[in-house]
This record gives sequence, structure tokens and C-alpha cells, in this order.
Amino acid sequence: MSVWEVVELARHPDRPYSMDYIKRLAPDFVELHGDRLSADDPALVGGLGRWHGRTTMFLGHQKGRTLKERVGRNWGMMHPEGYRKAIRLAHHAARFGFPIISLIDTPGAYPGAGAEERGIASAIAAAIMEWFRIPVPIVAAVIGEGGSGGALGMGVADRVIMLENSIYSVASPEAAASIVWRDNSRKVEAAEQLQLTSREILAMGLVEEVVKEPEGSARADYERAAAALDEALVRHMDPLLEMPTGQLLQHRYERFRYIDSLIRAEPDFGPKID
Amino acid sequence: MEVSASSIMSIAERPAGVAIQGGELPLILLPSNCPGCGVGLDPEEMRSQNYVCECGHHFRLGADVWIPIIADEGSFQERWGDVRSHDLLNWTVPKRYEAVVEELLAEGLNESVRTGTATLEGMPIWLAAFDFGFVGGTLSIVAGERLARGMEQAASSGVPYILVCASGGARMQEGLLALMQMAKVNAAVGALHDAGVPFFSVLTDPTFGGTAASLALLADVNIAEPGAAIGFTGPRVIKQATYADLPAGFQSAEFQLEHGQIDLVTPRTELRPMLAHLLEMHVRP
Repeated sequence: MSVWEVVELARHPDRPYSMDYIKRLAPDFVELHGDRLSADDPALVGGLGRWHGRTTMFLGHQKGRTLKERVGRNWGMMHPEGYRKAIRLAHHAARFGFPIISLIDTPGAYPGAGAEERGIASAIAAAIMEWFRIPVPIVAAVIGEGGSGGALGMGVADRVIMLENSIYSVASPEAAASIVWRDNSRKVEAAEQLQLTSREILAMGLVEEVVKEPEGSARADYERAAAALDEALVRHMDPLLEMPTGQLLQHRYERFRYIDSLIRAEPDFGPKID
Repeated sequence: MEVSASSIMSIAERPAGVAIQGGELPLILLPSNCPGCGVGLDPEEMRSQNYVCECGHHFRLGADVWIPIIADEGSFQERWGDVRSHDLLNWTVPKRYEAVVEELLAEGLNESVRTGTATLEGMPIWLAAFDFGFVGGTLSIVAGERLARGMEQAASSGVPYILVCASGGARMQEGLLALMQMAKVNAAVGALHDAGVPFFSVLTDPTFGGTAASLALLADVNIAEPGAAIGFTGPRVIKQATYADLPAGFQSAEFQLEHGQIDLVTPRTELRPMLAHLLEMHVRP
């Protein structure tokens, strides 16, 4: 499979979205809305459900399936209110000791004037910083597209895993092509340079695991895709639940602080400092 | 124009006793005429005004100029300056990344962020300055490492941290590793905040993308230069994505002040006295 075919699979309109997984992982899920400041961002769903006997906070980007729903969900591209809602719900989880699962599936934060006017940069910045202080276990999973800072704003976790045919990238291939060549039609070449497939990212040491999808990819069998994701999430969450809070936060800090030193593939990888 | 009036006034009215610059600034390559007002430029005169034209136009500066603007003469001790970037992704377009880095190093630039300790009016500081000339001031592994290391040391030693930003965001050529620098540096910003160590960020033209969405806007005091463009998504991409007509001044420092993202718009000629004043106010008795 070519890199671009993986990108198309990750973005396929029939691929399971966050709610397709959440409904299977926690059938009693109750959605909670709003950032308690000004708005509710429909590009991010959040709420509580019982998962393996434990109340769990689920967060996930939600793309729409029908055109109307896509417009309503803004194609899973969050505004500043979405990041503020996520942190509001994370504080809720922290008050009650609920673990957090974050499902990532976004082309990026919304590149619009309104998002800029309401402080999208500082909303993402504040969220990234705040995740390091949330004193409950967090497991993030990239289930489709992990695009840029908009994805990382939901991706600071104790463990980060990826579905086999998902992608995670510093910028979307279109944006990268636009930056490199000022021509976003060269997206295929950009995708090949970016090393955005799950296996390449695992090889760089940036995620803990790649979860195998059913034959024909996740869209061929929602049940088996959800079961595979569930199995991996539990396996990563369980040891975190046993960890004392101080240790948990220290590990989260170190996971990202030294994230590039995990690369040991070649002697030149990573900065040579002290 | 408001900007020009305030910057001329500021040169005249700056607080006595604090110079507009610390060390002597290097001469930089300037256009023959100011892009702001068209006046012919005298390089020596511009240097004595920290490269701010009488009309208020602030020229972009590299780290080599920013360091002596802020640091007392001879006080800057650079740290981790011998670390360099490597091509981790076999990046070849439009040019080999390894060759891009080597060319910039040969030009005398040293990565997109330089950092070290210094003093400002005798007060110890950590100083980090982005260099837009190095791959657009993009966040790279080396930049992230220099920033995070300095912040951690500032947090443990209680020395205030001053950052000068000029960046296009995360560096494409380092792929997802570059994106992860946003989390790396923000973890360190959290350590600074938790330690109660003052952090002041100076946002210069331009500050965008992953840099704006990480450490640049998380300071205790965010100070922008007049007219600096600051935002997450650049105007070209916003127009492409949404077909929106963007109003004049969209994403300017003044726009960001109005929208609550920064604390102050301070002309470069007043910056050093302002930083000295803020440092003094944050020193614990």
C-alpha cells in the first residue's frame, strides 16, 4: 500500500469515527457539553461512560458522516472553545478520579478568522500545558487523522497509540506541500516525506503501539475494530491505574520531555547535549 | 499614525538610567529605504535606534541582534551552542535538509533558537531568542531541547526567563518529531510556572503556528512589538481554506491586544526598560 493510500484510508468517509467507538466501548455513554465560558464545540465530543466497570471520561474529535452533519461538526476541526471544553472535562475527571480516553481524528484546528479572533493559538498552548497537570491516567489513540497542533492539543497523554491505518503528522500533507512548494496539489510527495504512517511513527518512538485493524481496514468491520481498540486501551490503561499520582505525572512529563531521545535507530538521531 | 507617534515619544521619554540596549548591536543588512515610510535609511542611525525607523517600522532581527538588545554588554553566556540539527527523515524536497542546515551554519547562524544566561541591568536572567533566518525560526528538536533545558534550569535556580519569538511554527523537515517539541517545551513552561519563576515573552514579527500555540503565548507577561503579525494559521492559508476577506490589521499585535491574547504592545526602543521594570516588580523580597 502506498503512503497516499494510507492517507486516504485514514480519511475515508466510512471509517469509524469517535462516536462509533465510544458507543461500543461504553454503551451507557452520556455526552457532556460546553466549555462553561461561551460555547459548545461540536467538533469535539466529551462525556462519561462505564468502561470495564469504571466511570471513564471519553473525549474525541467527531467528523460528520452526512454532509449536514459534517458542516455541523466542522469536519472535526476544533475551535478554541473545543480545547477549553476538553480541559474543563479533564478537570471534572480529575475531581472524581476518572481515567481519560482521548480519541484523535482531526485534519487540524480550524484555520478560520473566528478561531484566530478567539485565541486558537493560546487555547491549544494552554491545553497542551494543562494536560501535564491532570492527575488521572490518560490514554490517547489516533483513530484516523492526527493533524498538527490541533491533534496534539488532545494528544498529551501517558500512553499514545495509533490504529494501523491512521496517520499523525506535523502538518496535513496539503499544508506541508503549501509550505514547501507553495503548492498544495503536491500533497502526495509531501505525504511521502513526512513519515506520517503509524509504522513510521512507531519506529521514531513517538507512540507506544500500533493497533492492528481487521482485514480490509477498520471500516470493513466496526465491531472487530472497536474490540481491537478496546483491548489495546485496557492493556495500556490498567498499569496506569495502579500508579501513584506523583509518579504518573512525572512519567507524563518525561515521556514528552525526552520524546526525541527515544530514537536510538542511528547514532546521529536526537540532539547531542551534555 | 499612532504607532509612529508613540514610538518617537517613547525614545524621548524612556525611563532614565536604563539604556535601550545592553551591548553594542551588530550592523545588519537593511534595505536602502524603509518599507514603512520610504525614507532613506542610515544603517548607523538605525542601529542606534535598535533598528526601529522614525515612522515606527520595526525591522526583523536575528538572535545575534536580539541578544545584545536585551543582555547587558558581555553578560551573555551561550549554552548548548554546539548542538546541531540532523536529517532524521531523509528529507529531500525542495532541497536536502542536511544541506539546508549546513548552508545556514556556514552563514554563521546557529539554529532557530539560541539560549543562555545573562544579566539585564545587573539582574540575572535566562534568555532565549528565536532566529527567523534559520529555516523560518521553526521549532526543531535542537530548538526545543535548548528551550526546555534552559527553562528547567531557570525553574530550579529561580532565575527569570525571557524569550524573544520569531517563528513560522514547527519545522516540516523534522516531521512529527518537530510537532512533539510543542509538548516538550510546554511541559517545561509548566515547570517554570509551578516554580513561580517569572517568564516574559516578547513576540516579534512573525510568530505563528506551533510556536504561537506553545510557549510563545504562555508567559506571565506577553509583550508584542508594534505591528508584529501573531497568530496560529497564516493569512494565506485562512484565505485558501475559508475564502474569507481578512480585515486590515488582522493578526497584528494591536489586534491580538484587542482580542485579549497579549498584555502589552511595546516599541523595541522601550522594551529593555520595560523588561527591567517587570523584572524588578517580580523579584521576591
